[in-house]
Amino acid sequence: MDHLISLMLIAISAALINNFVLYYFVGICPFLGVSRRIDTAFGMGLAVTFVISIAATLSWTFTYFILSPGAPLSTWAWRALGGSPDTVVDLSVLNYLVYIFVIASSVQFVEMYVRKFFPALYKSFGVFLPLITTNCAILFGCLMVMKHIGPDAAEPWGLDSALVLALAAGLGFTIAITLMAGIREELDLADVPPSLRGAGITLLVAGIMAMAFMGFTGVDRGLAAALAH
Amino acid sequence: MIRYLAQAWLVILLGLCFGAALAGMQMLVADRIAENKLNETLAQIPVLVPGAERGEPATVGERTVYRALQGDRIVGWVVPAGGLGFGDRIELLVGLDAQAATLTGLYVLEQKETPGLGNKIGDETWRDQFQGKRLGTPLTVVKRDPAPDSAEIRAITGATISSQAVCTIVNQALTDEFRAALAAAAQE
Amino acid sequence: MASLDQPTALERFINGILPENPVYRQLLGMCPTLAVTNSMQAAMTMAGATAFVLISANTITSLIRNVLKPHLRILVFTLTIATFVTIADRFLAAYMYEMSKQLGPYVPLIIVNCVIVGRCEVCGSRQPVHVAFSDGVGQSIGFALALASIASVRELLGSGTWFGLPVLPASWPAWVIMLLPPGAFLTLGALMGVVNWYQARRAATAK
Repeated sequence: MDHLISLMLIAISAALINNFVLYYFVGICPFLGVSRRIDTAFGMGLAVTFVISIAATLSWTFTYFILSPGAPLSTWAWRALGGSPDTVVDLSVLNYLVYIFVIASSVQFVEMYVRKFFPALYKSFGVFLPLITTNCAILFGCLMVMKHIGPDAAEPWGLDSALVLALAAGLGFTIAITLMAGIREELDLADVPPSLRGAGITLLVAGIMAMAFMGFTGVDRGLAAALAH
Repeated sequence: MIRYLAQAWLVILLGLCFGAALAGMQMLVADRIAENKLNETLAQIPVLVPGAERGEPATVGERTVYRALQGDRIVGWVVPAGGLGFGDRIELLVGLDAQAATLTGLYVLEQKETPGLGNKIGDETWRDQFQGKRLGTPLTVVKRDPAPDSAEIRAITGATISSQAVCTIVNQALTDEFRAALAAAAQE
Repeated sequence: MASLDQPTALERFINGILPENPVYRQLLGMCPTLAVTNSMQAAMTMAGATAFVLISANTITSLIRNVLKPHLRILVFTLTIATFVTIADRFLAAYMYEMSKQLGPYVPLIIVNCVIVGRCEVCGSRQPVHVAFSDGVGQSIGFALALASIASVRELLGSGTWFGLPVLPASWPAWVIMLLPPGAFLTLGALMGVVNWYQARRAATAK
């Protein structure tokens, strides 16, 4: 039960309270670039959710078994090669390199797979897939997973927590970008000062949205207290 | 194979060079980084426990704590504690006397509370209230001046939830069982 | 490699600062621009780390441009950038621990900062080393200026200080909202409007 509650808290926090776009400012490039129309924005949101889930799962696996200090596989390999059993094998210096390659290759793989087996799906969001490699939201998801693995982590995460985080973060991104696209479709009809057109007004609107999302702060705490009884 | 190498030799070569560079960097600074992390806590120990000169990590009841030492004598304990705040997790260091019966200090390692309101939990004037609180009764938050010799903590104006969160974290970290284990460990 | 119509080193340098400013003109590198600009110190550390990665990666790319297979281009860029980012990250953790804790995940996020890949692609992989180097320096200064402009507004209004030094009188009611996420969006949006307005006015007078 406690575990379920903590999973739910992770999800609410990632999707609403600490929304990736509006709180952590990651994934701003697609948020500004692909939010002109609701359907493309929604497609982008789905694509990000999809890739972030795969990337988070893979990076959890790599970090947990190989990269984090004292990880089982690398420790085993070190001993098999005759290293002294007292050394803590720490490969965390390779973290960022591994993550970025995990992301790049999973994007490639997902693109090929979806194009071959789900042509309809490919039509709806496949075009966004190559863009996603440089989307900070994905790498940020991996980094959050990294923070919760290893001896320094206050509450170590299992694979389920990582996956819940990824799905919720993708959902939060989809909510934010779809809302923004809805507002921008209306903005097309508004009389915006010429110098603010495009990015300027989008950022101002995002500021107001971020204020609105601040209203969610503390919801997780209240909910946890209510459920604990 | 040859064709493959002709295509990829540059990537492999760069990979090796960069790998070497990273390994070199890691060897140069790894100890320093680890030291930074430990020092962040150790540097607070003389502030958190009166009379302490230095600290060292120890394990009591499967938790990592820090012995506050004067010479070789244990004069207190520093216990890391963490939990959910208003914004994100709050990480604290709690100072205790050797019998783990009285709070001697509180330090905020990490917090992301609202700037200007909740982040005042880091202010010394507020944290100083915790000094000398007897443990045993759970700390409670009040919105007036706390009664003397009680377990009451005055809330920060506009940040009752952050104040409450800190007290809850302290209460949950210092269970009677854990305090007894600390007191027993100090006897040894 | 360098044909006559490619910009020279000096042009690349100047372009980076204002005409092709990475943030205001190209709309790249938005994450750090918004995330770490609530104080000047954090913003300038970030600008320094980005400059280190950008200049190093651009120079290296330029050095190997003649032996680089086009289809492996992005792979090599990513490898280079990720390595330099790790070096910068470890350096900060070792020598500026407080700052590295404050910047947190935004240092590794430099890897996906589009400015850097963009410069490697546009300049580093096409032009000789000295051009690539000055391009890196110019873009870094432009990026640093953009961060500084946003951070100045946010720190001044949000806490009445600049680089941690008190500037506004103590009676200044600190605008907490400027330090919070919405303040970042509002400041950048408003500044972007000002820059566009200025550019439009200059273009109009030039006619």
